[in-house]
Order: sequence, then structure tokens, then C-alpha cells
Amino acid sequence: MVKVGDRLLGYATDPDVRSRGASGGLVTAVLAAALEKGLVEGVVVLKRMDEYEAIPVITDDVQEVLASGGSMHAVPVNLAKHAVGRKIAMPGKPCDVRGVIEQAKRNGVDLESTYIVGLNCGGTMHPVVTREMLVRMYEIDPEDVSGEEIEKGKLIFRTKDGEEKAIPIDDLEEAGYGRRENCRYCTVKIPTSADLACGNWGVIGELAGNATFCEVMNEKGKRLLDNAIEAGFVDVRPADEKAIAIREKVNSAMLSLGSEWKEKVFTEMPDQERLSYYMEQFADCIHCGACKEVCPVCTCGEDSKCTMFHSLADNYRMSMYHMVRLLHLSDSCIGCGQCSDVCPVDIPVTSIFRRFADPAQKKRNYEPGMDLTRPPFLEVMLK
Amino acid sequence: MKESIYTSVCPGCSIGCGLYIREDDRGAVSIDFLKSSPVNRGKLCRFGMRLPHYYSTPATGKVEGLGSGTEDAVRAAASRLRGAEKVAMLSVGNTTCEEHIAFMKLAESLGTVVHTGIPVYAELPPECHPHLEGMPFTDIENAEKIVLFIDPYVQYPLLVRRLLAAKRNGAHITSAGTTELHLAHENRKLSPEQYAELDLDGNSVIITDIHPHTDPCHIRQLLNVVLDTGARLHVVKPFVNSEGVDRLAKGRAGTMGISQIMDGIEKGDIRTLVLLDSDPVELMPDTDRAVEVLKKLDNLIVISSRDSLVNAIADVVIATEHLYRKRGTLINAEGKLQENSGQGVDGIDAMSMLSRQLGADGFDHRQMHGYLHERMIDTLASENRKPEYCRMECGTVPAQQNGACTLEYVYNPFMWFSQPDDNDFVLLDRSMVKSLGLKKGGTVRLDSEKGSMNMRYRVEKVPEGTILTGRKLPIATGTVTKIRTEGC
Repeated sequence: MVKVGDRLLGYATDPDVRSRGASGGLVTAVLAAALEKGLVEGVVVLKRMDEYEAIPVITDDVQEVLASGGSMHAVPVNLAKHAVGRKIAMPGKPCDVRGVIEQAKRNGVDLESTYIVGLNCGGTMHPVVTREMLVRMYEIDPEDVSGEEIEKGKLIFRTKDGEEKAIPIDDLEEAGYGRRENCRYCTVKIPTSADLACGNWGVIGELAGNATFCEVMNEKGKRLLDNAIEAGFVDVRPADEKAIAIREKVNSAMLSLGSEWKEKVFTEMPDQERLSYYMEQFADCIHCGACKEVCPVCTCGEDSKCTMFHSLADNYRMSMYHMVRLLHLSDSCIGCGQCSDVCPVDIPVTSIFRRFADPAQKKRNYEPGMDLTRPPFLEVMLK
Repeated sequence: MKESIYTSVCPGCSIGCGLYIREDDRGAVSIDFLKSSPVNRGKLCRFGMRLPHYYSTPATGKVEGLGSGTEDAVRAAASRLRGAEKVAMLSVGNTTCEEHIAFMKLAESLGTVVHTGIPVYAELPPECHPHLEGMPFTDIENAEKIVLFIDPYVQYPLLVRRLLAAKRNGAHITSAGTTELHLAHENRKLSPEQYAELDLDGNSVIITDIHPHTDPCHIRQLLNVVLDTGARLHVVKPFVNSEGVDRLAKGRAGTMGISQIMDGIEKGDIRTLVLLDSDPVELMPDTDRAVEVLKKLDNLIVISSRDSLVNAIADVVIATEHLYRKRGTLINAEGKLQENSGQGVDGIDAMSMLSRQLGADGFDHRQMHGYLHERMIDTLASENRKPEYCRMECGTVPAQQNGACTLEYVYNPFMWFSQPDDNDFVLLDRSMVKSLGLKKGGTVRLDSEKGSMNMRYRVEKVPEGTILTGRKLPIATGTVTKIRTEGC
């Protein structure tokens, strides 16, 4: 039996799952066990389309869960909305977990019946940019890639013939490649608001590459891991001091890099320029609604304020849709980047929303998506 | 709790935006973003975002008003087609290349050809046709000068990001269309005589579109500019596989545009019409008139994946699966071959069955796919071809009468497919709003020979006397309708 607060190293007992998983298959095995033992009705898995694309699907098939797995940094999706109205278990980067927590504050997700296995995340990359980067920076045919990982500040690609090539992430980003912009200035790298916080940071020595560092964050996390151990799906052992220290060191380094990026992106803007900045940024908007559709913290559904007060027939120089959304999301935007990814006219929506929300959140020392103890400052918390 | 995922292409236009269609175990459809698509990086426009609605009305088989399975519908179609004369067949490109080829095979056995509904091809010499294609979108991004004869925001929204990228790369963008565009450096209403002022050269790109109501004269003028300046013409088209069906068209002799087909029906020159995922009621500017004309046919046979307006008046409807479920390939405006992950072959099988019932050979998907590759594989990449045509006479565009107002259609995906959108308003210029004394949030009254209606309006910089609409209006008699206006 594990305890809340335990920091462990673990892996899947099935050798096949262990070798296929990114770091020993612990996450895959925990999710499969939750389904197998009826803790949940379904599991969100990433269905791999190719090395650069995966799509989240919900399955109740344990074998499908076990067949999934593998780290994919070039798959920038957010899974939070898949938890809405369902009794599921899901893996999640910090922004997935934060999306779920924001949904829970508005009763979009029932946290009691949603299990989240959090994954450390240093950032994700856009698949099309990644392909271009492979050709230009790595001189590798994207079709020859068999795997990738981030280690010691370097992005490493492995090819099918066993070769490895590593380039420092700083160099890649300097050249306009690497992580998506929002990932660079993200402030949460270890998903401490998940039930379990997992990742390969701190896994060293003989276990490097085939075990996961796992922290039990709450009672649900304990239930999830105990269930997997009892089902015989995973083995765990306590992490030693060295492993814990290394994990913390990596996290600190990532956070400090994030702060540097934040300063670079969010330069001071004089008050008199703010209105024209927002108006100009949204001037090419075609009102497709994709930014709202993908927003993992939006719980409004069809009858939302931003669409209700907006009409294509309006003559406002900046649409009510954006004005309402800027205000509405100022207490809930987690900067996940989904809106920028899907914007058909390449408006950097996430950075615009973060620029608007950041001062308000900072002033109240409020970080959305971290826990249920603090209600959103613009809304009544329903949970 | 099983979900099926299909990799497909948005049916809204020929840009060919990749996307995922998600089907849950109850058949409900939602979209997901195919971020690895090189065409659109998963981004979708208003139409793409509303695809669950588009896909919510599958076609149902029908024979003379009664529901029917495929075999009975095929049998009924065969019985009507056997010995039928004056047969016309239309496929504008709303389906896969393989289904279109099957339709062409069917046309052969009926001794006719498949029309793609676009009159420009029939009216321009064949040596011009290779210039009526698109080009890789990266070529647009690298152009030095771009002239737009379309409104990309409304008509082909996924071109906007390419144009903005071109602008960031230093391109100068001129809009020569009807509306003023934010992304353009200059917005000019140009007469053809003024095109020389654009000072174009081999690093310039002219972007226009060709659709069933494009005036061939406009295209002749642009082809002359290409000849004079060496600029490249990028032609976008309104249907997902317009490019595919145009490249598959064998010869253009005797092919007709949609309006010519409708005229042919009126005159009695066409008595039987067979449609493959093409709806003249949606395609013609005057819906009521189109229905009236189609009712004059002896036989109206529809092979369709959607329950569109024409199905209601068809004698026979052969229902096939939705586009995203079809197995097959599509060609986008760049000349890029795109493949659906669906495995459905209902359409080809039904046409094969029909072909056999008409005494010809049957066929299957594999054969149609083989034919596609045999015929087209070498012509996929769009090249920067040197013009091999001669300068063309264009005639003159009739001058607008003083004081007269025209209501003009701005064709867009919602309009081509009669899909609902939040565009129940017209665009007016500020001087018209002032002269009519229109109030904010009010309506304008529009009168034509067909009737009157009140419409909400939005102020835009449009030419004086021009009123634009992005949806079909019941008072319209054509793509351009003379009207009178009143404040109300």
C-alpha cells in the first residue's frame, strides 16, 4: 500500500508494455488497471496516427490502453474536455490537468470520478514545425524517425537505423523551431494538481529509460496506484534522495527558463497602446469559433456570453466575441496554446489572452487550474 | 465507449483542409484538428467548424417518393435510363476522383459526357486550361506582389494565413475585388484597362476563383495579364475535388456550365439529368426558379451522400456514404493528392451495378484507382508553365447605370451548400446608410422584380450602389440582381 506524498520509482510488470512505454510503461499500466478493475468506465488514450500525430480517443478496451503509450512531444492536444460528463481515467500534461481543474470549478467535470495521471512536461512541439525542423536542423528525413526524447536541455531524435542526434533546445528555439511559444513560458512543469505526478525526471542509473518517477499527490492517486499494484500491473520502489533531488533540479531549471521566456514575450506595453494592440491583433479574425471550441477551460457550451453578445452584422472595430472572451478568461486562461494552434489566420491568441489575464491573476496571486481551494475571482465556484 | 476516427478533407472548397472526423458509438459526428496536415496545420474556417451539421443529414435512398434500398433504387434508375435520350450528367467535384471516374464510365455507357458545371472551360481554348489551376501555397507566401480578385476572408479563409505570411515576407498585396480587405496594402476598384498600372512581373501572383457562375470574360482578361507580364495565376475553386474533376475531364468539347444545363432543360434539349453529389438547386442563384426548371425533366436521378434540396424532387435517389467515409483520393488547389482513410465504396458499387444493368461492364474501386494513377500521376505537380495561348478578345463589361443598385452574391462555402450561417445581413457602404437614414441595428428594405424583403445590414467599404450578400436571398434573380432600396 502506498501513501499520499510517497515518491516512487515504478514500471509496468508486463515486459512488452514496459519496453514500449516511454519510461517503463507505468502510466499505461496504471490506466489499464483502473479500467480492468472497474475504477473507471473508460480511459483517454492517444491513438497514434504516425510519429508526429496522435488523436485522443476514449476506450473501454484494456488491450487498447495497453497498446497505447510512448512519449510524443509533437502532439499538442489538450485532453481536458474529454473528461466532461464521463467517469474516466486519463493521462495529462500540466495544462491538461489544469483544464480539468477549471472544468471542475464550474461543475463541468466531476473530480470524484475522474482520475488523472499527470505527466511532467517541458513543452510540446507542433508536428508540421517539427517535420521542417528535422529536415533543416537535424538533416533527418522525418519518415526515418523512430523516437524522440528530451534530456539535459537537448532534444534527441533517434532514427530507424539506431542513430541519435541531439541539439540544445535553446539553439532550436533561437532558429524558430522547438517548443510552441506558450510552452516556452509555461509556469507549471510537474503536474502537482493531478492524482499522480509522473515523469522521467529523477530516474537515473540502471532504471533510466525504463522506469517512471511517480509522486502520489492525493487519496485518489493512492487509490489509483494501489489498484494497479494489487492488479499486478505495476511494481514500485521508493525513490532515493538523489532521484528526488535530480527531479527537483530539472524542474527548477525548466521553470527558470520559462520565466526568462515570459519576460521576453510579455514586454511592457504603454497604456495608450493597449487598445490598438488588441484591435490590430484580432483584425484578421474570421469568426470561426475554433478558439472557443478547443478552449479546455470553457464550460459555457452553446449559450455562451461571448457568442450571445456578438453578431457578424455588428460594426464594432473589435468584436464583442473577443472583448467578452478576454474578460471572461482573465480568471481561467491556463495558457495551453490550443487556441493559437487552431486559429486559421495565425493570430497568437494564447499570448494575447495571457497578456490580458496575467496582470489580473498576478495581482490576486491566483494561478488557475492548480486546485479547488480558491474560487475563480470573476465567478462563483459551483463545486 | 468506442470512437472511430477518420482522416479526411473538408468538403467546403478546394483548399483541401485536412481534419479528423470522430464518430462515437451512437454515430454522432464531431470534428478534430489534424495538426500534421501540411495544407492547413489542422486549422479550419467557419464552414469546417460546422461540419457536424453538414454531416448530420445523410442521403436516403428513394424511388418516386418512397424510401428505397440501394438495389431497388439502382434498378429504378436503370429502367429510367434504358433508352433515355437527351441525357446530361453533372459532377462538380464534391466526391472522390474514383467515384467521379466511375461516373465517367457510366456516362460512356450512356453515350454522353460528364459536365463539371463550370462554363469557363468550355468557352476558353484548351491551351488556356493548364493555367486555370492552383499552385503550391508556399509559392503564394514567397510572391513579391499579390493581386486578389476574391475576398479570402469570406470565400477561401484558409488562404488568409498564406497571404499574411506573404506580407510578413515583404509581399505587396492589392485587393482588386469588391470589398476592402484589412490584409491588403491597397484596395483598388480597377477596370481591366487599369490592370497595367499594377506593374506585375514574373514574381507576382494573381489570385482569383473559377466557379459555376464565373464570367469567362474576367478570366480572359486575367489570362491576358499573365501573357503580358509573366505573372502567375492562382485559381481556387469552390468544391473539394474541383481540381480533380477538372484534371480528369477528357476533352472540353460539348461540356456545359450549370446555367447552360438549366437552359438546355428549359428548351427541352435535356430530358434526363443524372447528378453525382451535385445539386443544381443549391448551385443556381435563384432556388425557386431552379426547382421549377428541374421539374420539367422526364428523369431526375440523383446519386448523393447528402440529403440536399434536389433529393426532394428527384425521381430516384441512390444514397451513398458521407464523403469522409469514402475510400478514395481528392486533389486540392495546390495539385496535392489527398487520401481519405475511410473504406466505403457504396458509390462505386452502386454505379457499377447500374452500369451492368445498362448492359455495360461493372467495375470496382481498385480499377478506378488504377485509372486515376495511370491518367494523372504525372500531372499532379503544378508547374509554372509558360503561356502558350494567344491574346484574347474580352468584350466590354456593361457599365453600371447611374443611380441603380445591384445586389451581388459573394459566393462562399455556406452558400454553395445551402448551409445555415449567422450571415442574415447585407453589406452596404456608409454613404448608402446615410442617404437612406438607416439606424444602427435597423434594417434596409430591398425591392426587386421578384419581391421585397427587409434585411439587417453591416457597413463595409463596398463600391457605391453595390449591396453584397453572403447568403442566397429570395428576391435575387441571378448572381447580380437589380434592386431598389429604402430605409426602414
